[in-house]
Amino acid sequence: MSLELLIMFAFGGAFLTYLAGKISSKLRDIFALLCSVALVVIVSSLYKVETTITLYNGFFGMPLSMRLNPMAWFFAIAIVSSSALVVLYSMSYMKHRERTDYYYFMLLLINAAMLAIVLSGDLVSFFISWEIMSWSTFLLISYNRNAALPAGIKYIVMSLIGSMCMLVGIISIYTAFDTITISEIVQHMATATAGYKLFLLIIFSITFGIKNAVVPLHTWLPDAYAESPSPFSAVLSGMLTRMGIFGFLLIMFVMVGAENSLHMGRGFFSYHNILAWLGAITIVIPTFIAMLQNDAKKLLAWHGIGQGGYMIVGIAFGTSLGLAGGIFHTLNHAIYIILLFLSVGAIEYSTNGLRDLNSLGGLFKKMPIAFLGGLLGICGLIGIPLTNGFVSKWLIYKTLILGKAPFLAFATLLGTWGTILSVYKFLHNLYLGQLPQEHQNIKKTPLAMQIPIVILSLTILVFGILPGLPLKSINAMIVSFGFTPLTVSIWGISSETGTLNMINIFSILLVVVAIFWLIFQAARKSTAVDQYDNYAAGAAIPKDKYNYTVEFYAPFYRMATPYLRDIFDMLYQKIARFTEFACDNIRKIYTGYVSDYIIYIILFLALLISAQLKWSVF
Amino acid sequence: MDRNQISKWFKNPGKMANKYSFHVVYFCTGCGIIEIPPSITTRWDAERFGIIPVATPRQANLFLITGYVSTKTLKAIIRTYEQMPEPKYTVAFGSCPINGGMYYDSYNTITSLDKYIPVDGYIAGCMPRPEAIFIGVTHLWKLIDMDKADGYKRYRRDYKFYRANQEQLFKELGWPPLFKDASL
Amino acid sequence: MKILSLFISPLLALIIGLLFLGISRKITAKIHWRCGPPVYQPLIDVIRSFSQKSISHGAFFDFGIILSLSSSVVLIYFLPVGDLYAMTSGGLIAFLYLMLLGPFGIALSSAASGNPNSSIGVSRKFLLALAYEVPLLLVLLTVMTHYNTISLVEIVNIQAGTGMAFSSWALVLPGIAYFLILPAVLGVRPFEIVSAPQEISSGPVAEFGGKHLAFYTLQHALQLFVGLALFVNIFLGGGTLFGLLNPIAGTVWATILGIIIFLVKMFIVLVIELFINAVYPRFRIEQAMRYLWKWPTLIAFVGLVIVAILN
Repeated sequence: MSLELLIMFAFGGAFLTYLAGKISSKLRDIFALLCSVALVVIVSSLYKVETTITLYNGFFGMPLSMRLNPMAWFFAIAIVSSSALVVLYSMSYMKHRERTDYYYFMLLLINAAMLAIVLSGDLVSFFISWEIMSWSTFLLISYNRNAALPAGIKYIVMSLIGSMCMLVGIISIYTAFDTITISEIVQHMATATAGYKLFLLIIFSITFGIKNAVVPLHTWLPDAYAESPSPFSAVLSGMLTRMGIFGFLLIMFVMVGAENSLHMGRGFFSYHNILAWLGAITIVIPTFIAMLQNDAKKLLAWHGIGQGGYMIVGIAFGTSLGLAGGIFHTLNHAIYIILLFLSVGAIEYSTNGLRDLNSLGGLFKKMPIAFLGGLLGICGLIGIPLTNGFVSKWLIYKTLILGKAPFLAFATLLGTWGTILSVYKFLHNLYLGQLPQEHQNIKKTPLAMQIPIVILSLTILVFGILPGLPLKSINAMIVSFGFTPLTVSIWGISSETGTLNMINIFSILLVVVAIFWLIFQAARKSTAVDQYDNYAAGAAIPKDKYNYTVEFYAPFYRMATPYLRDIFDMLYQKIARFTEFACDNIRKIYTGYVSDYIIYIILFLALLISAQLKWSVF
Repeated sequence: MDRNQISKWFKNPGKMANKYSFHVVYFCTGCGIIEIPPSITTRWDAERFGIIPVATPRQANLFLITGYVSTKTLKAIIRTYEQMPEPKYTVAFGSCPINGGMYYDSYNTITSLDKYIPVDGYIAGCMPRPEAIFIGVTHLWKLIDMDKADGYKRYRRDYKFYRANQEQLFKELGWPPLFKDASL
Repeated sequence: MKILSLFISPLLALIIGLLFLGISRKITAKIHWRCGPPVYQPLIDVIRSFSQKSISHGAFFDFGIILSLSSSVVLIYFLPVGDLYAMTSGGLIAFLYLMLLGPFGIALSSAASGNPNSSIGVSRKFLLALAYEVPLLLVLLTVMTHYNTISLVEIVNIQAGTGMAFSSWALVLPGIAYFLILPAVLGVRPFEIVSAPQEISSGPVAEFGGKHLAFYTLQHALQLFVGLALFVNIFLGGGTLFGLLNPIAGTVWATILGIIIFLVKMFIVLVIELFINAVYPRFRIEQAMRYLWKWPTLIAFVGLVIVAILN
């Protein structure tokens, strides 16, 4: 098993899936699933393998290479396994849609491109894969047409700005060091000036900041997440956006190096500190904006931005504990946000595309599996103990508090407490409360949609109770960056400044719950009643809709709505409108009369001549 | 608390606790509700007997019906009574729930509450003073001790009778029968 | 000691919590010039609730309330009561997160009942929690930064050496801020918005009767205990009293006296809170948020800035 095979499988599988779709849709589904499962098998067989291979030597004399190391493996396994689950889910979700061949092709192509990104050993193949990923993402975001088209355009414009920044960076690296291979750049970096390193850090940070949606570069994300098909929203939020985190790790800790990027600037105005503060802003503001959303997917999208902030804070703080927290949070976020999007997707599937938080409710009796996914997903998102989100957040908080950054710690903690409000609203308005009459007979969730939800739910619990499983491979990654390793055991982290032992908490909670459950069962048995036998001051319950969902946090909305607006989005829109307006006016010089054009030429020549007479420039 | 009491506590804690912890739904049905505020506040202080008002029937075990019962209110009374958890006790307050009182010939006031829900005790008078409530409560204690406050058992046993009366008065009740086997 | 406290701590907390509920009813009655119920009245209420036949809106309705009570018991294990504590894993951050689980369980349970009053109550609860968590987090961060540890036990131990946290002047402002928000943390009168019986039919517990109500009452008692004990642990030096017990340190008597000192401190804080509780009407939710985000937050923020500069 080697890397060539992996890449071949990934790209070839995507093309062959498209061709298989031309024969029969059943064949295509099975082929796509087999292909993505095979990728999982191949990647997991490459555990602890470190290799470098050269794919192609003739690209303007530069070698295009692939390399596998702990960092690449960690991201690769996350990509392929989430993709396999999403493909399985799509088999039911996309069944009765049109253009499904195209959908599967793009989904697998994105998957392959992401694999190529994390495995690429040089910047050119990195850039090429990055572009394949960006463009196919654009096509899938605008898959649903209508409202999805502007969302896609917004995405691709911002993504192009990022790509151009990266291109500038790559060209400047090539001119400075005469190489594009990452391992060689690392050696050359020692000779570079501090100013050049800062330039590289900033220019790549713009690229990766756009991809990871760091405020103020986040504006593409809410629309893109909300408008794309739900399984793809899951991929988009879970792994694709987090390619930005991969990029940050690559530029900060691999290419520029930890000892450089963490000592850039002085005091507050150092590169990593400002990045951490941007991360903190990314946590707080989007989390509170999420509270105002009435669209389930948009609410999750704003949380996608907010949770990205935790990763940025953890990485930017740059201690081995914080780095472990940031990277672990990337993985955890992928798990629970994919789960949440799949859960919302199940509702969309059953209710024919409804995802409005104001018109649903009480679905937990009809869709227990999707509800389970939603519940564990939001527990992970909040970071309730025994779910995976808790461990990574704990690592980040601890880093910040013991690293004497109480204000950053406050921002991260505040973000969590804001998260509780909006995700509870999410869970309550979709699943809990009274079930409206119109949803009494909704479609059942198909098995292919239930399996990924169950697997992800279990993963949340397993990683929450035994965080050592992923933390061990994260530890290897941290060591490869040159940090001191953490003392990780299978159930948590032990260190001299406080230990975390999840299995301890888990077993105690389990025992106590068991005891109280027994007491509860031993007490007088309760009568089961339906939702219409409910207290309503002595009146009978109305059958159509009797829910408290609209304006769930009304007092807070009244207080906060004027302050919680996406000012950056408004600013960018204004700039876009201004550019459009200006270009529209400049266009008017093309009148279509030859005489006008002759006058332009004469005027231009006159300008040149007078400039020559006055300053003699030529 | 004398020794007799303690042995009763050990014999049947549930019954004793029900006696000394009346959580009351004060249903503001009629004029009698005006006697309730003085009885639960500083002047007469019902809390010293463990009596406190609660907001929902789910948490209550005593239902105090204060004054005349109009037909419209009766519907809510039945609903509230059915939602209370067992064991539950009903005390009707004033003369009107007994026989209609001064509203005996009113077109929209029922004359006898006992036809629609079981009543464990009446406090007669127009109006009874707050002291009468406490006397009523001590009588209810005695009834509970003797297992004679069995309204909820009667409701279960004679549900057909009560439901028939209820449905005779209201054509459409708006909720299914409380006990399944007692369908008509 | 740890094994012993696994059994003693929850029992102690339940008994003391119920007793405090009873005492608070008695003292409030006395302030109102009433006689008031006996102090063991909450216990009678719990027994009464258990003896009643409750209704259930499904398995999730039951699960939420069990989870809520269990997590409150687990919380007790993290809380040093004098020398009694069973767990330290994760420190104050894990403690803060576990504090979430109690209200969260009740929120899930009551929302599963499908009563709009419950939903309004839960919405208020989370808003109130957001409102008081802002100053509370600032206060706890100040303490953790000041002592440079995230362990609750260590915070108590440091205070055992230096007296109460109040005696260190940097922690005076956070202490005041915490005291100002304590009624909100405990959910007593001026901030009794969540379970307002007259407005929203006791909010989240509108559908709870019988054993569900009993579990809720026990959880409420534990919550009262935890709220008071956290304050005593962080600012009043836990089970120590200016080195009074140092001569007999290490003996069983020291442990027992430590617990008694701890409980007395809790009682004093409770009584002072009750004086506020008994004479105030209820805030509206906006007023509560405005109050909590104004003075306590300002004081706590200044406290954090001072400590951050000192370090």
